[in-house]
Amino acid sequence: MSHVAQEKLIEYIKTNQNKLYKVAFTYTRNEEAALDAIQEAITKALENIEKLKKEEYVNTWFYRILINEALKSSKKYRNYTELELIENETYVNSNEEKIVENIDMYNIIQKLNYKLKTVIVLRFFENMKIEEIAFITKTNISTVKSRLYKAIKEIKLNLNEKT
Amino acid sequence: MSILKKLKNVYDSIEPPQELDYVVNKSIHQGKMEKKNRYRTYIKFATSAVVTTFALFVILLNTNESFAKSMENIPVISKLAEVFTINEYEESNEIDLIKAKVPAIRNTGNTDLENRINYEISTKINDIIEEAKNRAEEYKEAVLATGGTMENFIPIEINVDYEITYQDDNIISFVITKSESMASAYQEQYFYNIDLENGKELNLKDVLGANYKEIVDEEVKKQIVQREKEDENNMYFTEDEGGFSGIEDEYHDFYIDKNRKATIVFQKYEIAPGYMGIQNFEIPDEILV
Repeated sequence: MSHVAQEKLIEYIKTNQNKLYKVAFTYTRNEEAALDAIQEAITKALENIEKLKKEEYVNTWFYRILINEALKSSKKYRNYTELELIENETYVNSNEEKIVENIDMYNIIQKLNYKLKTVIVLRFFENMKIEEIAFITKTNISTVKSRLYKAIKEIKLNLNEKT
Repeated sequence: MSILKKLKNVYDSIEPPQELDYVVNKSIHQGKMEKKNRYRTYIKFATSAVVTTFALFVILLNTNESFAKSMENIPVISKLAEVFTINEYEESNEIDLIKAKVPAIRNTGNTDLENRINYEISTKINDIIEEAKNRAEEYKEAVLATGGTMENFIPIEINVDYEITYQDDNIISFVITKSESMASAYQEQYFYNIDLENGKELNLKDVLGANYKEIVDEEVKKQIVQREKEDENNMYFTEDEGGFSGIEDEYHDFYIDKNRKATIVFQKYEIAPGYMGIQNFEIPDEILV
């Protein structure tokens, strides 16, 4: 099982690396920190592959590891400044106005605590099912749901402050 | 645009840096080595999606002209109007893997209509495939430009297929679906509902009458509420999030389903989060055709 699982994991990571980067970046807001998180998550996952009970769970299992590593990494790289976003040219192909708007939108997500951020990212950006999110966050369905509602409410509140 | 959609756009616009490929490969190698040292077991190296170049097998789509000619040659024995596969082809190379089934209609007793619709379908499918191929090519270039190699490049799969949803003496209804492996959002559907008697394409006004909008809006709203109640995983955008607030006109996507009812279709992301997929709503009213 281990070899098959390992190959499955590697295939999964390679196919989804861009997605995984986006998830990591959402927590770290810093390129280097996001890459660190990805590196840590991949090596840890491969080393602990026998803990993956069923191959079908490879994506939720790996998300859990990745999100943990991303949180760790973001704490390490805390000296992040808002400007860095523009300097990093994270949003290429955008005109200046668009960049400002994007950063505004982005900050709305950043304002959420990591629990709320996680449900928003997984549910709406990664299109995951509530059960999957419950698995990743080691909670249950009703907790995920109440976090979702809370997060949406907070997003709307933050948005209204802006306008 | 709803807030969530806007946020998703911003999220999607996050650009992975060039080093990502390198970091991923290095980490995989590192992870495997560390494990190997620890357990002293033989680890088979993962066959990274090795791209084999299959024999190139392409049949070009018929152009309108040749198609029209082939239509003339069809003997008049079979009289039933039908949708058939005029062309089926597969093309496979290191960048993309294309599978297409191209439908056409015949024996409708209305050559003008057939020519027009068949021409439209074949041009549309040609365009779709051309566009998808360009996207795959761009993607390949982006991968190579950022230090990736063709070895770990996974070809983009492009599929075009069709399904006949309903057919009788008066109506043929079918849907063409295109999907692309690169992004699930790249699934598109095209609907054809043909009134054989009058030789025209049907719109919602034709099948549901002048009050089509009220009928559809009310029914869709009702069913959304029902679905949300039935399953906690069903979630639709609210109106201020950009969710369903009524169809715009009689040309909204629909098909005639096996019960001979009009089924209204909303594309992915149109009224619900992406994981909900394409949304269909059958309208119980008898159709007027």
